[in-house]
Amino acid sequence: MTRLHHLLAAPLACLLLVFFGVPLVLVVTVSFFDFDQFDIIPTFVLTNYLELFGSSLTYSLYANTVKYAVIVWALTLVIGFTVSYFLVFHVRPFLLQLALFLVCTVPFWTSNVIRMISWIPFLGRNGIFNQSLIALGIVDQPLEFLLFSDFAVVIAYVHLFSLFMIVPIFNSMARIDPAVIEAAVDAGAGRFRVIREIVVPLSKTGIAMGSIFVVALVMGDFFVVKIMSGGQSASVVLAMSNEIAVLQYPPAAASAVVLLLVVTAMVVGILRIVDVRRELAG
Amino acid sequence: MSGEIELRNLTKRFDQTVAVDAINLKIPHGSYCCLLGPSGCGKTTILRMIAGHETPTEGDVWIGGESVVGLAPAGRGTAMMFQNYALFPHLSVLDNVAFNLKMRGVRKAERHRRARELLAQVRLDRFADRMPSQLSGGQQQRVALSRALITKPRVLLLDEPLSALDEFLRLQMRGELRRMQKELGITFVHVTHTQLEAIAVADLVVVMDQGRIEQAGSAREIYTLPVSAYVARFMGGQNVLAGKVASVAGGFATLVGDTGERFSSPLSGQTVAEGDMLHCCVRRDRVKLERDRRPPGAPPERTNAVVGAVHAIEYQGSYVKVTIDVPGREPFVANVADGRFFADPVDIGDPVLAWWAPEDVHLLTGGLGRSVRVTTFRQAGDSHG
Amino acid sequence: MHRPGSGRRPWTFYALAAFFGLYVLFLYGPMSAIFILSFQGPTGGLTFPMNGVSLHWFGALFGQQRTGDFAGSFTRSILLAVIVLSITVAASVMAGLAFRRRFLGSTLVFYMAIFSLIIPGLLLGLGVGLMFQFLGIKPAWYSSALGAQLTWTLPFGLLIMFAVFSRFNPFYEEAARDLGAGYGQTLWNVVLPILLPGIIAVALFGFTLSYDEFPRTLIPIGSRNTLPLEIWAMTTNVTSPALYALGTLTTAVSFVVIAVALTSIALIQRRRTRRGTRTDAGD
Repeated sequence: MTRLHHLLAAPLACLLLVFFGVPLVLVVTVSFFDFDQFDIIPTFVLTNYLELFGSSLTYSLYANTVKYAVIVWALTLVIGFTVSYFLVFHVRPFLLQLALFLVCTVPFWTSNVIRMISWIPFLGRNGIFNQSLIALGIVDQPLEFLLFSDFAVVIAYVHLFSLFMIVPIFNSMARIDPAVIEAAVDAGAGRFRVIREIVVPLSKTGIAMGSIFVVALVMGDFFVVKIMSGGQSASVVLAMSNEIAVLQYPPAAASAVVLLLVVTAMVVGILRIVDVRRELAG
Repeated sequence: MSGEIELRNLTKRFDQTVAVDAINLKIPHGSYCCLLGPSGCGKTTILRMIAGHETPTEGDVWIGGESVVGLAPAGRGTAMMFQNYALFPHLSVLDNVAFNLKMRGVRKAERHRRARELLAQVRLDRFADRMPSQLSGGQQQRVALSRALITKPRVLLLDEPLSALDEFLRLQMRGELRRMQKELGITFVHVTHTQLEAIAVADLVVVMDQGRIEQAGSAREIYTLPVSAYVARFMGGQNVLAGKVASVAGGFATLVGDTGERFSSPLSGQTVAEGDMLHCCVRRDRVKLERDRRPPGAPPERTNAVVGAVHAIEYQGSYVKVTIDVPGREPFVANVADGRFFADPVDIGDPVLAWWAPEDVHLLTGGLGRSVRVTTFRQAGDSHG
Repeated sequence: MHRPGSGRRPWTFYALAAFFGLYVLFLYGPMSAIFILSFQGPTGGLTFPMNGVSLHWFGALFGQQRTGDFAGSFTRSILLAVIVLSITVAASVMAGLAFRRRFLGSTLVFYMAIFSLIIPGLLLGLGVGLMFQFLGIKPAWYSSALGAQLTWTLPFGLLIMFAVFSRFNPFYEEAARDLGAGYGQTLWNVVLPILLPGIIAVALFGFTLSYDEFPRTLIPIGSRNTLPLEIWAMTTNVTSPALYALGTLTTAVSFVVIAVALTSIALIQRRRTRRGTRTDAGD
């Protein structure tokens, strides 16, 4: 039997090994290589890492990226939890619930780049938002901070990644037996006690999964920062992509390895709090 | 082909747990056999080993005089009806029934014709084009039955076939199953945890506990002449009493209980020795009840009686179930005919004397090893047995 | 809590409904703005107001003036998405079947899939690019980019198959075997048809994730772009509503694919549960 199971798992395992495992090993290897203007020189050096850690730019990039990650994580968590809670516990019948859930997920299947640039005419100096504010008499000068700013970056992140929070939390919540909630209400728990004592603990797998997605996505992003900050802000991967653009692969690889370790540490930290695999398998 | 089933030393272990423990059983051809026991007793595992969905760890399964271990499920002449029927949700009723024929390469027209025939037998031909989810529970069960029968099995295996139905349908369908088994003349093996279901349909009832057979026999035998305290308790309808054999004489054994009651029971050919710790049982409907006007706490003077206070009274229609708290014993139940009860109704808390004739007592000589269990029913202060 | 039968809804319902409404507006509002702006008149700009309504910018996409190789990248994207879809469906369904039991190495494969999902996309692309460079193979959309995209779609496929199989009742297979079906017959006649809605979902993910993939594809794409890369290039050098027109077109393609997938799932489910109760619950 296990031979059949190995055979069945082989295509996926091999594809991942070739296109994820091997490249990962290569990135780690190259991060210890030297380089010149034109090529990679396969000798073992630590200069890539020494330069990386010796540069104050590295730390400010990480500070900036982590700042985005934390803000976006908090916002998407609030949105993800609230939207899922509404859909699961307040929307009946089931078909309407499913339809509204699909409304939330459809953008996931469309282009991220398009969804991101769709904020440009919206937030710009002469954008819809400013025009509306002026028309309503709330401001008389267009707000400048809306586009090409941290604000715009965060907005775009939340727009792109909140689905990754909603879907797993929705799945966890949908599996909560309504009788459990009713029992808590019968036991005298108020609305917010029920959320704190019942819904949050029972949704923690979904919260953890969503958090992993959002943190990993923000930490790994470069294109949102590049476009939405209008070049005024940067992230770890954006700096990396600039190195790649000038073919400096070894320092880019070193930067990638450090980033991967940081992201892995964050994910392991989340998994420490919630054992996702055990609950996924169940 | 004969549908006689023989299980020889059949054993199934999952990791460290023994699900089925060296079972030996012969089920005659053309009989209706019920495997009865609480959940986890191994009855479904036995069924699945007969069907070929589970491989025995040890032992053998013989059907019609040959070993079938190692044969594919479809090569055994058995057909199985699954607990929730497992009707294929993507196929119409007709295609569900015709599935086996399709697998065997029978042409579409031919297999549909034969499937329709079978559906007509269970009066479902007009639902042939529906999807399973459009049928009621009872109809689904009949589809499952037709789907199994199209393989022309010599043995039909039914895993909790009635558990998904409501009470009314359950009674109706169990009669239907019994009728079909008689008509088809093949062997039915039916797994259930419901005592009344088993004794209502089966020729052969097999009572199981913890992977072992406690007793196999006709429904009446199992119900009236249980071999062990376990069977007596599990089948219900009996009061189980424990005691030490004080004397054996004149075809009767006299047991003395912990609290001094004396029970006399016919030996009915069983051999017991003085000093044995034994159980005996008395049917609930044979117990007579009268008010106890003696000072409270006094043990009964007569043999085959217990005293206690009425704990619960449940009206059951034709009789009244009176539960009595007997100090130091498991609750004792008397089923009193309703006319007799209402002639002088007792109330909860009333002291009563329950007594019975020695002929209505039955000794439980099997499952001696289980007497330890009795202590769990005793009150803490009395657990010196 | 929503109590059935309590008649009036609590105030929290309205608060949450308002929140949900705002979120949906947030999700679709900006997108609808660029859909409208893509119909900008020939003299219109990147923002409102509209200077008339026209299909001018859609036309500009197909003209050869300033907007790059739209037709070619679109064709490549569709082709690549179909290839990714096929491989993702086949490999995920097989792996889903395998993962129903623990096997030697199953934990390793599982963690490889999870990390493949959360690894920064550009980093993965860098690795794949390096691999092809070391092997001396020229990267191309149908080789290196395909592989890079699979590291994104396969984990999703596997996770969906986990969810699908967790609701699949293994008694269906036993019933099929009991009725004389062999392993292959059981798979083809029973397992796959029952799982079809889930398989379509995997296909939807495979197609759309590939069709819109960008960070992983950027480095190992080779010389010919896919559509998202073409759009990415346009964001930095095209400052006309042609960009929006392209966005509208590509999103319309996505919507068609989503609609086809969801409709077919809905039709299958409806066929199985027209009226009547659900009976395929796994418990």
